[in-house]
Amino acid sequence: MRIGVLVSRIRVEEKLLFQALEKAGVNYEKIDVESVPFLLSCRHFQGFDAVLIRCVSHTQAFYASRVLESQGVKVINSHQVINVCGDKLLTSLALLERGVPTLHTLVAFAPETALQAIEAMGYPVVLKPLHGSWGRLLAKVNDRDAAEAILEHKKTLGGYVHSVFYIQEYIEKPGRDIRAFVVGNETIAAIYRNSPHWITNTARGAKASPCPVTPELDRIARAAAEAVGGGILAVDILESPDGRLLVSEVNHTPEFRNSIEPTGVDIPARMIDYVKKVAGGEL
Amino acid sequence: MPFEKVDTRHLVFDLDRAQGFERVLIRCISHREAYYGSRLLEGQGVKTVNTHAVIRLAGDKLLTSQTLLDKGIPTLPVALAFSPQAALEALEKIGYPAVIKPVNGSWGRLLARVDDPEDARSILEHRFYMGEELSSVFYIQPYVEKPGRDIRVMVIGEEVIYAVYRYSPHWITNTARGAFTEPCPLTSELEELSIKAARAIGGGILALDIFETPEGLVVNEVNHTPEFHGALRAVKVDIPGKIVDYFLQGG
Repeated sequence: MRIGVLVSRIRVEEKLLFQALEKAGVNYEKIDVESVPFLLSCRHFQGFDAVLIRCVSHTQAFYASRVLESQGVKVINSHQVINVCGDKLLTSLALLERGVPTLHTLVAFAPETALQAIEAMGYPVVLKPLHGSWGRLLAKVNDRDAAEAILEHKKTLGGYVHSVFYIQEYIEKPGRDIRAFVVGNETIAAIYRNSPHWITNTARGAKASPCPVTPELDRIARAAAEAVGGGILAVDILESPDGRLLVSEVNHTPEFRNSIEPTGVDIPARMIDYVKKVAGGEL
Repeated sequence: MPFEKVDTRHLVFDLDRAQGFERVLIRCISHREAYYGSRLLEGQGVKTVNTHAVIRLAGDKLLTSQTLLDKGIPTLPVALAFSPQAALEALEKIGYPAVIKPVNGSWGRLLARVDDPEDARSILEHRFYMGEELSSVFYIQPYVEKPGRDIRVMVIGEEVIYAVYRYSPHWITNTARGAFTEPCPLTSELEELSIKAARAIGGGILALDIFETPEGLVVNEVNHTPEFHGALRAVKVDIPGKIVDYFLQGG
């Protein structure tokens, strides 16, 4: 069995995955996505039984997985999953269409219309770029003045990402949200991300603590993972004041360094176990 | 037939609520609006022409090339690189002169013909300072010496509606950039290739850009929301009539 790990910057997560591969005695190869050209007519990657995509950039992850799939290589996650998870609007639609509880969302394509949508939804709302991670450029908008200012800034930022306005209801969270790791069809672990800030991202200083995987949490996390196409995923879930669990996002190349110790689950080993099964044709 | 013009810029899409249309012809200029607009409408059970899946493929040069290659449609070789350094290596493999393109974009924007590694370095350096998508993925093709023209073919469903030559002294033969059009005879080779290529992308209302190379015809690009005012002068076909017929009848 020969496994490839497609990487760009090697983070703690990638090091842990390499260790897990070594421990499992798997023959693997690191492939730096930025170091090699991909010729569409050649089948450079044919010798791999599976390739785990761990590029930091969503764009690179998407295109590389697409090209590898055409060469007949099994890719985790698939380019369709990366496409949906890397785009908040496609994620929302996938969740809604599969009946997975999620947040009320409006979309507009011009700043003036976005302002109408925000007013119609009622303050506070959250504006998010369609692409992006680590809570970057999420804006909580508390009133009309803030809305006007943010929309003008987005207009000036321009580009692909900032001319689609993705507007969501603001959920008053209990100082935390939940991140559940789903591998295949199993919820292997979950953490609370605790933060005094409304953006509860560990990359932004939120503290991880263990979260019990209740049957309800397990059901919703797996349903969300299945809705986006399945694979190795992290599902972000909010607890609403009226006690519902709402899926806000699904991550296609999850970071997990802060989740191993509090949960006691060997997350990288579980991921590699899944990759081996895919490579061996068991899944 | 009663119809309504819907300006995507004036519309609030509520993901939980249907818009109440039976079918929608997508004519947004922006690829982004066409793609998300069709995706949102399809999610609400509305039939759109083209479909979001076709718009996604045709709006992205890498997805188009890979799909054409997978289905055995003649197209140009492509190398993909994810850093300027890898792009330079890719260029050595493809050979100079070559063309560096963004994966997204229309009207020949940001197409760069590079004749040697020095050209390439300057272009790649400029691209490196642009936004994520432009700076992290480089789509590279060999430059094709065209006979001062290329061919544009419109396919609707399983039918070729027209073919025109686009003549230009510039290597970018785009009518939006000053090329002029003349009728192009519809040979069986051209017709067959066009229908196969349109089918590979998913069908609908499509315009194909085709190059004449010494090795034969190759499909270069597929356009999902084609402009056709340039062709109206050159061919005696009621193009908008054909589009609306297709949209209303089948789609």
